Amino acid sequence: MVTTPTISITLNGTRRSIAMSATTRTLMTVLRDDLGLTGTKDACSQGVCGSCTVLIDGAPARACLILTATLDGASVTTIEGLGSTEAPGPVQQAFIDAGAIQCGFCMPGMIIQATSLLRTKPRPSRDEIRHAISGNLCRCSGYAKVIEAVELAASRIAP
Amino acid sequence: MNTPAGPIGQSLPRLEAAEKASGAALYTGDMVLPGMLHGAIVQSPHAHARILGYDLSAALAVPGVRATVTGDDVDYRYMGLVVKDELAIAKGKVRYIGEPVAAVAAVDIETARRAAALIEVRYQPLPAVTAIEEAIKPEAPILHEDFAKYAKIYDAPTNRGNILAHSVATQGDPGKGFAAADVVVEATYQIAAQYHAYMEPVAALAAFDPSGKVTVWSSTQSIFRTQANLHECLGMPMTKIRCIAPRVGGGFGGKSEATVQPIAVLLARKAKAPVRVVLSRVEDMTTMRSRHPGWIRLKTGATRDGKLVARECELWFDGGAYADDSPAVMNFALFFVRGPYDIPNVHCEGYAVYTNKLRAGAFRGFGNPQMSFASECQIDELAKKLGMDPLELRRRNALPKGAKWFGGQEVKETALVEALDTIRERAGWAKPMPPASPGKKRGRGIACMAHSSAFLSTGAIIRLQNDGTIALQVGAVDIGQGSDTALAQMAASAFLLPVEQINLSTPDTDAVPYNSGTNASRVTYMVGKAVGEAAGKVRDQLLEHGAAMLAVKREEVALAEGGRVVVTGGSRRNAEVSFADIAGRSIWAVGGPITGSSGVMAQYLMDQGHTKMSGWLSFEAVGIFTFGAQVVEVEVDEVTGAVEVTRAVCVHDVGRAINPGATIGQIQGGFVQGLGYGLCEEMVWEEGRLANPSFMDYKIPSALEVPAEIECVLIEKPEPSHPFGARGVGEPPLVGAAAAIANAVADAIGKPVRQLPLTPERVLGAMLKP
Amino acid sequence: MTDTRFHAPERLDEAIGLLTADDEARPLAGGQTLVAMLNAELLRPRAIVSLHRIAALKGVERRAGGSLWIGAMTTHSALAASAELRGAHRLLAEAAARIGHEAIRNRGTIGGAVAHADPSADYPAALVALDAEIEIEGPRGKRSLPAHQFFRGFLTTALEPGELVTGVVLLPGPAKAATRFEKLARVEGDFATASVAVVLGLDAGRVTSARLTLGGCGSVPIQSIEAEQIIAGHTLSDAVLKKAGELLAAAADPIDDVRGTAAYRRAIIPGLVARAVRSALAKGAA
Repeated sequence: MVTTPTISITLNGTRRSIAMSATTRTLMTVLRDDLGLTGTKDACSQGVCGSCTVLIDGAPARACLILTATLDGASVTTIEGLGSTEAPGPVQQAFIDAGAIQCGFCMPGMIIQATSLLRTKPRPSRDEIRHAISGNLCRCSGYAKVIEAVELAASRIAP
Repeated sequence: MNTPAGPIGQSLPRLEAAEKASGAALYTGDMVLPGMLHGAIVQSPHAHARILGYDLSAALAVPGVRATVTGDDVDYRYMGLVVKDELAIAKGKVRYIGEPVAAVAAVDIETARRAAALIEVRYQPLPAVTAIEEAIKPEAPILHEDFAKYAKIYDAPTNRGNILAHSVATQGDPGKGFAAADVVVEATYQIAAQYHAYMEPVAALAAFDPSGKVTVWSSTQSIFRTQANLHECLGMPMTKIRCIAPRVGGGFGGKSEATVQPIAVLLARKAKAPVRVVLSRVEDMTTMRSRHPGWIRLKTGATRDGKLVARECELWFDGGAYADDSPAVMNFALFFVRGPYDIPNVHCEGYAVYTNKLRAGAFRGFGNPQMSFASECQIDELAKKLGMDPLELRRRNALPKGAKWFGGQEVKETALVEALDTIRERAGWAKPMPPASPGKKRGRGIACMAHSSAFLSTGAIIRLQNDGTIALQVGAVDIGQGSDTALAQMAASAFLLPVEQINLSTPDTDAVPYNSGTNASRVTYMVGKAVGEAAGKVRDQLLEHGAAMLAVKREEVALAEGGRVVVTGGSRRNAEVSFADIAGRSIWAVGGPITGSSGVMAQYLMDQGHTKMSGWLSFEAVGIFTFGAQVVEVEVDEVTGAVEVTRAVCVHDVGRAINPGATIGQIQGGFVQGLGYGLCEEMVWEEGRLANPSFMDYKIPSALEVPAEIECVLIEKPEPSHPFGARGVGEPPLVGAAAAIANAVADAIGKPVRQLPLTPERVLGAMLKP
Repeated sequence: MTDTRFHAPERLDEAIGLLTADDEARPLAGGQTLVAMLNAELLRPRAIVSLHRIAALKGVERRAGGSLWIGAMTTHSALAASAELRGAHRLLAEAAARIGHEAIRNRGTIGGAVAHADPSADYPAALVALDAEIEIEGPRGKRSLPAHQFFRGFLTTALEPGELVTGVVLLPGPAKAATRFEKLARVEGDFATASVAVVLGLDAGRVTSARLTLGGCGSVPIQSIEAEQIIAGHTLSDAVLKKAGELLAAAADPIDDVRGTAAYRRAIIPGLVARAVRSALAKGAA
């Protein structure tokens, strides 16, 4: 039996010790409120919209539906771990170049999801892209330019 | 102004794209101030009730709670754009389930929420009306007893119970028109409440400085409407209210008027600390706004050869508990009663009604999507009865250039016929469709749309900075649609500079000139126009200084790329001076800082001689029409009635596309929001309670509900009244989408479906109807 | 601040002890429903007992006699991709692949979903069609129940206080089987408006056995022995399929909700059933 006041995770490549102010804090709350990593967005708190998608041990997951206390020893990648404004990662750069970003609120989750897709399927078909991002809601783009962005990223990463 | 060059017409990435892609972009809910508290709201469990009192003791006893706010903390000071009927927080009465009645500020959001749950409000429940039909009964309970006393900007009905607006308009002689018709179709169209579903729920952060001035960062479409609403509902002078918009995660009309800013300010004032209020999705859905639900009865007459001769319309909009923009939305729907067609005889009446539900308000299209659904579906029904091709019927009745709009304004330019001819080719209208998949029926449908681009007023200030770059100050909020980039491109083009040399202001009421708001597809047109005027004034000064510095005549110099004034002829040809040197001269030696400002107002006279109107808001600040056409192909599942849109072609007249990539992004996004409106989005109330207040239960389209490709064709006819040739494109792609889909479904199943959204159940019901 | 206690035991008996000792303790599996309910403040349990460290709940094992044991903490993603799900058992992989979206499937578990017992969810109908056994352990030891006896009503199961779902056992199905999980949802990833789970036993091109179960059409998965009997051993004409669908529609007990009315669900069941059976046959034996 363990009660976990402090857990250890690898966050964006760096080992971190996280003191839990409460046992039921979600990963989203810890990222946004305790660690100031506000790139992970809260748009529904029910796991439906995908705005809070992060990678846990390399696989996409909803930060809003995970109690941080269950992540001891896990590796977490957030949007901040994929690149910076000055030096965006390749998927981020493709989203910028393709004009996929409008209001931007869904984009961190969308880019995380797309990154995961391209790691497992470097040259996805259009239908595979549509399926992969179908759990990430976007209200601005109609998804068309998001799909183009993923295709652009694929063509650059695995030409 | 000369033909602009520079970055206009280039698909540049948005200025802020990289910060949004990296997650660094700051939205209101991401902002933190020292000592900041978190606010939570308490919502009414009653659709209609008198508030008898509050017990705050349990909430205040929770450690970490710093302030509570209720109706006792505010006076009866009303706010609103069209009717001033809303308070900062409920006082005296609640009028819908979910209405904020109290709020708490505490050291963290969990504590605030827990304390909010401990606030006891004592109510005396009142009978409620949750449908138009109930609200207009003579014995119906009245929502707003003081309606007659409220300030309004239109001719409102008196003594009509819960009817808050009633407008009538007549053009020509509808009686004679229908008498001349060989074919008449009449039907009633039901329209549902659509939720904006901006991805960022509403949020506000309020902080007072030692002088008593409050700064409010919020997710808003208009810093100036936010400032005006706070001024009205809190009684603070505007000198003490500063409103700023950081990055905004979508709006679509829903963040035009007040959201949670008044509550944040009240809490901050009482707690004497900054307070951030961020609504959860469920709270946002139950307290904010929807597109107007209701119904439209429409009757259209045509001659045998397909000339539209008469139309009659009766429209009822359910406005919910507060007027918000309801009278304007209802009027705007009637403004489009003819669609983009030349119908000489028209009579229409519209009503907006208070009910005990969430308020309806501005939403991309502003009444036009509802009217266009009815009108464009009816055109198809008429085409079927006439045995005419629906595209041809539309083309034959397209309102010609120079004709008058309903209301009497002149239409100076139209591209509707080009749009129809373009889409006929592009969509393969005359060719057979691919065969339907097994178990499916295939259909194709078209809709046309018209919308306006010019609306209200705005200003711009342009300053030459010391290093020769340009500061552009405008009051427009980029809510994601890309106006910051488009405006920077316009300014850059005016000075032949790259966009990197334009310093675009943050929307801040302390720093930028007035702008009415990011709505009505108006920013590119209106603010762009102001930018063009202000830029012209700065260019004049640059040329004057340049000529003096180069010792040539003013006519001998011109702007050149790279921030230079260059001599264009004579012996000193090619001599030049940089913008930076000109700036230096102006601030250190001659003339003073180089600044240009402008203020523009949309003014288009209406004509009572053309259209007789009563009970209307003036639309003299609305004009510049845009046109478009959309064709969709659908497959309808024979077993379930489920509709899949398999192809979409959108042809839109955009004037000159300032940023074609962003323009196409607007069209695709607008079409898909219209697809959701057409197929799956509907807020459902059960006895006044919203039954689906979450993304779990209210569904917007995902990437799989959208066709694999949304084909867009831009018709670029530069708008002569705009310095850069642009027109607005934010709303038109949504306006007709639901109608195009409904027409495709009717084509597939052989019967019309006159109720939005076209759920599988409704489509199957129509299919099975004998 | 919330005062919920958090436990993450490594042994199953510890978890059961914690849950038995505190009737306001909740077990946490993948959390894809429970945490959403915590976020919405629909629940504030006194303690949470996370099952994520318990090795006994993990894994997929082939057992003697050809049955397949699936640990309760197996994720939907793992099942959707599992090579162990063959023959009739493919149905479970098909159902798993239709749950929510990838990020949800990566965390959500079969044990959590089964114990939650949402009748519109995808597993219950599939497990009933597969005649799966639900393995349970609690303070009074181990037991197991056939799926159709486990699901008792809307969000209601046969679990007693302190009991946990520890796994699901799939018994060997027909030697040659065709399957189909047919689902109508408002948008991809939504709960089913209605679903049909089909397992057909095949022998030399003939349907020798049939299991048909409806999801989202009642408080528990809906079966009709008569419908299954008329499909097994008969030539599958349109008339036979229609009759089977009508029998299932008659057995259904749907409600009106935001996904559709009861009348609509009843109306589409025959067509969905026919489509599901035809799709299973078209796909052929796996």
